Amino acid sequence: MENKNRLDLNTELMVLNMGPSHPATHGTVRFFLKLDGEKVVHMETEIGYLHRGFEKHCENGTWTQAFPFTDRLNYCSAPQNNVAYALAVEKLLGVTDKVPPRAVYIRTIMCELSRMADHYTNLGAATLELGALTAFIYFVEARELTWDLIESVCGARLTSNYIRVGGLASDLPEGFAARVKEVFAKNRVFWDEFDKLLTHNRIFLDRMRDTGGISRADAISYAFTGPCLRAAGVEYDVRKAFPYLAYRDVDFDIPIGTTGDNFDRYLVRMEEIKQSMRIVEQCLLQLPSGPININDASVRNPSKEDGKTYMESMIFHFKNTIEGIQVPKGEAYVATEGTNGEVGFYLVSQGGGKPWKCRVRPPCFALTQAIGHMCTGHYLSDIIPTFDMINLIGGECDR
Amino acid sequence: MAANYKKVNRGVTLTLWERLYVMEVLRGIIITGRHFIRNWVSTFRSYMSGNPAGRGIMTIYYPEEKPVLPEAYRGRPMLVRAVDGKEKCVACGLCEVACPAKCITIVGAMRPDGTRYPETYMLDGAVCIFCGLCEEACPEEAIVMTHNYEGLVEYDRSQMLYGKEALLVPEEKLKGRLDYIRRRMYNKCNY
Ligand code: SF4
Ligand code: SF4
Repeated sequence: MENKNRLDLNTELMVLNMGPSHPATHGTVRFFLKLDGEKVVHMETEIGYLHRGFEKHCENGTWTQAFPFTDRLNYCSAPQNNVAYALAVEKLLGVTDKVPPRAVYIRTIMCELSRMADHYTNLGAATLELGALTAFIYFVEARELTWDLIESVCGARLTSNYIRVGGLASDLPEGFAARVKEVFAKNRVFWDEFDKLLTHNRIFLDRMRDTGGISRADAISYAFTGPCLRAAGVEYDVRKAFPYLAYRDVDFDIPIGTTGDNFDRYLVRMEEIKQSMRIVEQCLLQLPSGPININDASVRNPSKEDGKTYMESMIFHFKNTIEGIQVPKGEAYVATEGTNGEVGFYLVSQGGGKPWKCRVRPPCFALTQAIGHMCTGHYLSDIIPTFDMINLIGGECDR
Repeated sequence: MAANYKKVNRGVTLTLWERLYVMEVLRGIIITGRHFIRNWVSTFRSYMSGNPAGRGIMTIYYPEEKPVLPEAYRGRPMLVRAVDGKEKCVACGLCEVACPAKCITIVGAMRPDGTRYPETYMLDGAVCIFCGLCEEACPEEAIVMTHNYEGLVEYDRSQMLYGKEALLVPEEKLKGRLDYIRRRMYNKCNY
């Protein structure tokens, strides 16, 4: 009977191109869909529209010159990329333990601030694409306040270029802790309002709950990391599994989901925002005083007075700038917990001032490859929340 | 001091009230309405009291109002003109090699008194990525990132090639930034 109806109605599979610039997908990516009515039968993903040759770019400059390029990977949380790259270079140099504690704490603070900003952007944009404009505006305001904090430290909102090999570009501005307190108080109000508008909202629940799910085993075999992996119930966070920076010294919870659907991802991200605020507050309380750069003339830039007074400082300054920091032969991989998952830098040095190979492990590359798996069998409209919760960042995925 | 894994509560059950939906719409309107009225009252009040900047809302009326920039802000890179009217730059070429975007071109020359100066200094504003590495590299504090963010766009890329004359700014105008980089960025106590 059913088959007969199908023949009468003449339902064929429809082939549909979604993207590369679809208004409901933030990021330039093309989905190739086969639809049976509104059900997705087959889905292919095509990435690479934002490929800029990041890795090759890095090989053409000195170690320091790669920092501004790393900003442009995941541009919502630039300091995290800076930190991951700096940690990898420091591992190659063998100076990881010599980075002063103040720099380590400030790096942690910047990482968590940018994690907050990234989650605000992601959740805000997701709700926008599901039609909830107001909630988007509230989170964008919270994000602006957070970015103002980042700007007051780094000098730019997105392209921060703040971390240096062996330290930081500049110290925290005066009165930073007080400003953080003020901003967090406001952000908590926005968080509550966002929560009130969405978490018990029937439309939102219907679109998020039980859509785009992935099982624990599949998430692991697709190399998921970050909030999407934790939403599937896997207890893995680089900050806990392999503590780096100051994460050993602070108290925080890592939210874990159960089924790995979009609603779990949403809840995990919402909780992570709160936990990031906790980490920043603890770090500011424990913030040691002291220098922010490693005391090694062949790595850091000398102060301007020293450069003008001492010949050696001047020579090191010229050599470090022109030839680049001299990194010994070897290779290193450092993984950090980025906002979307594990951000890793694999660097190979042949000795000298330039990276021989600079490879990034972008978290959303692994997440994007599973989107076909997650959406097949669901409705066309479920692609939007799933894609939002994957949080594909073109700059990072395509490099 | 440690991190703990904690399950999130996904078992959100909707009460009858929430499932009725109309009530929820009303609750949403109350939340957004509160914002609307609060913004409206604070704007009205600040205009009445003659202090429009104290509106307490996020947006500003650009270009009548300008944003307050933090000290660290990196705008357009500019050259410093010393008090005696000469460039501070000695044409050492460090900024040229430090620039990751390769947007600076310098031709150096010698003054009759033996000091060096840049005969031409070209900065391609269309290529610059505002990273601040030139400022970091310069041993003479001759190039600094200013708070200047206006007029950076043109209809034609060729007009964004800034020469020496377009870049030079008297030193007293850059006091704030020079003070900032000495105090916060290249201070001796930083290492
Ligand atoms: S700010 Fe960066 S890109 Fe611009 S001129 Fe300076 S070094 Fe080059
Ligand atoms: S680094 Fe400074 S002194 Fe040297 S060429 Fe550039 S601006 Fe001039």
